[in-house]
Amino acid sequence: MNRFVKLTAAAVAALGMIGAVAAQDMPYAGVTIDIVTFTGPQIAEPLQRHAPDFAAATGATVNVVTVPFADLYQSILTDQATGTNSYEGFVFAPQWMVDYVVPGYLADISDWVAASEELAWDDISPFFRDFSSTFNGRTYTIPFDGDFQMVYYRADVLEAAGLQPPRTWDEYVAVAEAINGVDMNGDGEGDYGSCIGKARAEQGYWFITSIAAGALQTQGTGQGGFFDNETFEPLINNAAFIRALELYQATNAFGPPDELNIGVGDTRSLFSAGRCGLTLDWGDIGALSVDPEQSQVRDLVGAVVSPGWTEVLDRATGELVACDETLCPYAIDGVNYAPFSAFGGWSGGVSAAADPVAQQATFDFFAYVSAPAQSNVDVTIGRTGFNPYRVSQFTDQSNWIANGYSEEFAANYLGAIEASLNSPNMMLDLRVPNNQRYQGVVLDEVLSQFLAGEYTAAEAAQVISDRWNEISDELGRDVQQAAYLSALGAE
Amino acid sequence: MLKRLTTSQSPFRPSPLRLFFSYIVLGFWSIVVLFPLYWLLVTAFKSPIDVSSGPKYIPWVDFTPSLYAWNEIVVSTGVTFVTRPYSNTLIVGLVSSLLALIIGTCAAYALTRFEYRPKPAVIGMFILCIIGGLIVMAAGVPPIIAIGSAVILFIVLANTIGKRFKGTMNNGDITFWLISQRMLPTVAVIIPIYVLYQQLSLLDTRTALIITYTTVSLPLVIWFMRDYIANIPLELEESAFIDGASRYLVLWRIILPLAVPGLIATFLIVLVFNWNEYVLALFLTRAESQTMPLLIAAQNATRGPQWWNISLLVLMMIAPLIFLAILLERYIAKGLLVGAVKG
Amino acid sequence: MTPTQSGGSGGVIYAEQDMSFRARLSRSLERSSPNVLLLPAIVLVLFLSIFPLIVSLLLSFSRFQFVAGGYSIRYIGFANYIKLFSGSEQRKFLGAFDAPSIIALVMGAAALTIIAIMLVQYVRSNRFSPVGLVMRLVAIAFTLALVWLCMITLSGDGLPGTLVVTLIFVFVGVSAQYLIGLGLALLVTQNIPGKRFFRVTFLLPMMITPVGIGFLFRMMMDTINGPISPIWKLLGLADFSWVDTAFGARTAVIIADTWQWTPFMFIILLAALESVPREIVEAALVDGANKWKNFRHIILPQIMPVSFTLIMIRTIEAFKIVDMPQILTRGGPGTATESMTLYAYNQWRALDLGMSAAIAYLLLIVVTFVAMVYVRILRKRVVVD
Repeated sequence: MNRFVKLTAAAVAALGMIGAVAAQDMPYAGVTIDIVTFTGPQIAEPLQRHAPDFAAATGATVNVVTVPFADLYQSILTDQATGTNSYEGFVFAPQWMVDYVVPGYLADISDWVAASEELAWDDISPFFRDFSSTFNGRTYTIPFDGDFQMVYYRADVLEAAGLQPPRTWDEYVAVAEAINGVDMNGDGEGDYGSCIGKARAEQGYWFITSIAAGALQTQGTGQGGFFDNETFEPLINNAAFIRALELYQATNAFGPPDELNIGVGDTRSLFSAGRCGLTLDWGDIGALSVDPEQSQVRDLVGAVVSPGWTEVLDRATGELVACDETLCPYAIDGVNYAPFSAFGGWSGGVSAAADPVAQQATFDFFAYVSAPAQSNVDVTIGRTGFNPYRVSQFTDQSNWIANGYSEEFAANYLGAIEASLNSPNMMLDLRVPNNQRYQGVVLDEVLSQFLAGEYTAAEAAQVISDRWNEISDELGRDVQQAAYLSALGAE
Repeated sequence: MLKRLTTSQSPFRPSPLRLFFSYIVLGFWSIVVLFPLYWLLVTAFKSPIDVSSGPKYIPWVDFTPSLYAWNEIVVSTGVTFVTRPYSNTLIVGLVSSLLALIIGTCAAYALTRFEYRPKPAVIGMFILCIIGGLIVMAAGVPPIIAIGSAVILFIVLANTIGKRFKGTMNNGDITFWLISQRMLPTVAVIIPIYVLYQQLSLLDTRTALIITYTTVSLPLVIWFMRDYIANIPLELEESAFIDGASRYLVLWRIILPLAVPGLIATFLIVLVFNWNEYVLALFLTRAESQTMPLLIAAQNATRGPQWWNISLLVLMMIAPLIFLAILLERYIAKGLLVGAVKG
Repeated sequence: MTPTQSGGSGGVIYAEQDMSFRARLSRSLERSSPNVLLLPAIVLVLFLSIFPLIVSLLLSFSRFQFVAGGYSIRYIGFANYIKLFSGSEQRKFLGAFDAPSIIALVMGAAALTIIAIMLVQYVRSNRFSPVGLVMRLVAIAFTLALVWLCMITLSGDGLPGTLVVTLIFVFVGVSAQYLIGLGLALLVTQNIPGKRFFRVTFLLPMMITPVGIGFLFRMMMDTINGPISPIWKLLGLADFSWVDTAFGARTAVIIADTWQWTPFMFIILLAALESVPREIVEAALVDGANKWKNFRHIILPQIMPVSFTLIMIRTIEAFKIVDMPQILTRGGPGTATESMTLYAYNQWRALDLGMSAAIAYLLLIVVTFVAMVYVRILRKRVVVD
């Protein structure tokens, strides 16, 4: 009911605004913009919901076109590359940006962003503003969503066992072991210490990156954690990544029996059904855990920033060494955290091939959806896939509590997100051309082979490293390295 | 007594004991078939929490039926969310199956009644002309002109140089070639087909799907119908020819009525393939012409598989096919004579 | 076409000049009816298969990249194929090798013996010709290579690559479907009450889209929330998972595939069995043939041609298996259930279009080879028998 009130209030506010503008000329009368995103309500629903208000205010007709999630990346690319140009706007994961920016498919919107008051660009968290939505110092996308991974835990289970939430990955495994087999949903049967969706062709490669991140990147976001900035040698075949692989594998023993074939969707429903003590996930768990249709763990969930490492990689030797002030300048209590912005949060980009008026209209629509008035309500609705990314979304908790979050959970959840977002050592996604081949094919496949016992950790690291180098050589090492550094803003 | 149990009076009326074991096996397989379908049915009426908290079997006993999935699919995302892909599946499935049936039956009839003697050399020339056309196209000539001139060049060559070659192939070779098209892995041809339709501005149209499905169904239709038509006695046609009927009239008035069971059975099987096709639709459609299998696959997005939605959509998809199968069941057994002809 | 050319005598010329346009049209239509009837099918197939096949072949020798303003295709020779056979993709395509085990060696020796016997028979027969011998030697070399590959990847520490996995899916799956389908058809063909019910029921799985079946079997195979999980718990296998081990995952894929395609076998075999003339069976029974002999000598020869065609259709289709492993196991664990089509599809998704085309081409070669050998060898023995 609360949600309904909020929506109505937002609609009334929007209508009021429209009333104010209606007297002026409609700037986009007769303009139609097609925006593509994936099938499913998470992103399409808020876009569709805001389209009529925008149309009433500006005269532009907004069509939201959806394609299956797994094919969104290729759909946009093939559409643009073959010159079909069916869409004016794309809502996609900013990790793909490099493949769209390099061939010139996305319009540079830096000036518009700077000029737009409605968008309140400064209210957007610095990571999304300065890294996630930019390439080579220019802005190409507007964020709608803040994505990065955190660890969620069952506060009641940990409390009963006298345990603290994990601060490092070693502690994560120890906690998982300690609570594995405890009955967590009251059905009399033992439940699982840790649930991580390890299936192939799902999210496995993001999880391993999340685990390794704290050991690989220590000098702030601009350092990057995938390649050596000088030699462009992958940061894979070293003691830190091998240790991360071993920890990842160690969690198998405390997970559901078919953990190797479940994805994040399954672990989310397991966690919401109260069958898991710990899980590594994006922000969605927060919204799901308060949804009465889906959750049996309301108010029993806690969240912490993704765990870190007390020993980190020495890039010169490839060995793990203990943190000190020069090696880990951003460490907190001796633990180096590097929250991984896996996926980067759904963002809107404007097609460079659209005609100028349509480009402007698309930009204005994205700015309207991302504006605090709309976005601050959307991020609190579990049905949308939008997670918080604006400073104002943390300072004011009333929207959250109105949507069913308890005060305690809102503070805890938002606190964990804020801690991640404020971290100067947040780790950016891999952004080089064809990053799908590095991660979606090679890393994902070898990781799965490693978990299935086909490789040892050291062998797996060697194979991934060799094949990444092979891809870099095929695609041009210089080109790849330049793109990598551009995305980090290091040039 | 034992003897009466194990023997039967007629070979077609099984003995009681045999009947008993037959029912056990048939019953077991019926459960194997029906239980997963039952599971789909109940899952379509579950809310997410009923799916994720252990197996629940019987509505009103184990769980309270919920219209969660119905709300999700039919109400909250707007009714066109499901009606558009559904009508696409309906139109594309029916039209392409019918077209394949018409074109394929004509070809099957022709292959059983006429002698063809194509020359491999002429076919080689055709392929060379197409390659030439492609190279010219790659050099920047518009596709229509390139393909058009390649075809003209081929016709000229075939009627001049082509006539000098001797080696020929026969109907069996043509049939084998047509049927072997079924061997092509879709991924091997999909990229060029995509570019082709893009050049013709047919991407994301039902027309593109209909043309493609018709083509990939042809081998099956020809395969089934060739054997069926070959079994229809020639004498029936011959008497019609004596009365002065044309080939087409004979096909229409004599062959088709006799082939009705075969046509229905073939239609049903081809329809099932086209109705459920996924990979081609995935590549060739965007929003306008998406079909149901894509919508089902799309239910596995960032929040994991939406089991309730998937179940409901699958049920929606099979309902008309089950209805057709029950309606046309008696034709199916009569209509399939695949391989009845040797060779 | 002028009347003079087609007409035989003056009388005919006049007659034809008097003919209306319609009559002339129908006459020329009649004369060209062989072409009119066959050409639409030929043209469609040419349009959508030959042309794309040529383009794909070119693509498999190139590297595809998106660049500013479109895409570039660069010729790289056999690099994609070399990578598959001896480069970084070898392990995935062919598998990891180990010395063949005793069982593998025995099986290999058996295969070799059969081939040798067939070859000797051929050389002695009156069908012998030098070209035929060369063709057969090529086929034998290809077969032995595949057998050897299966031997060294399936024993010891070896791991089968996508090629061998595909072969396993095809041979195990199609055999299971045929045998179950035949068994059910034999039972249903009896004159028993409820026949119609079974006939319709057994047909149902075929009508579900493979994507749907993939999801359905993920629910069925789920040992936590799946409907069969209580049975597993009862058996003390609560921690069992289908998809933890390569063997279990492959079994799961084959079970789902068999569930879907047994109906296809069933319905066509049923049609074949029901068309066996009753008198033949009756006569055989009167003669006192026992049941097995009755089946072996009377029914089996009647359904052999159908079986031949049917197995051929299913084998060809089964080589293209993709939806089932993709949704059920996503090719995992590791690469245990990745079929060649899924492999090509994954490469396509990573935009390595050249590699994708190369894999698809290799699959085409294997399918064509298996189909040719099947047609040449088995049909002669089975059908003409």
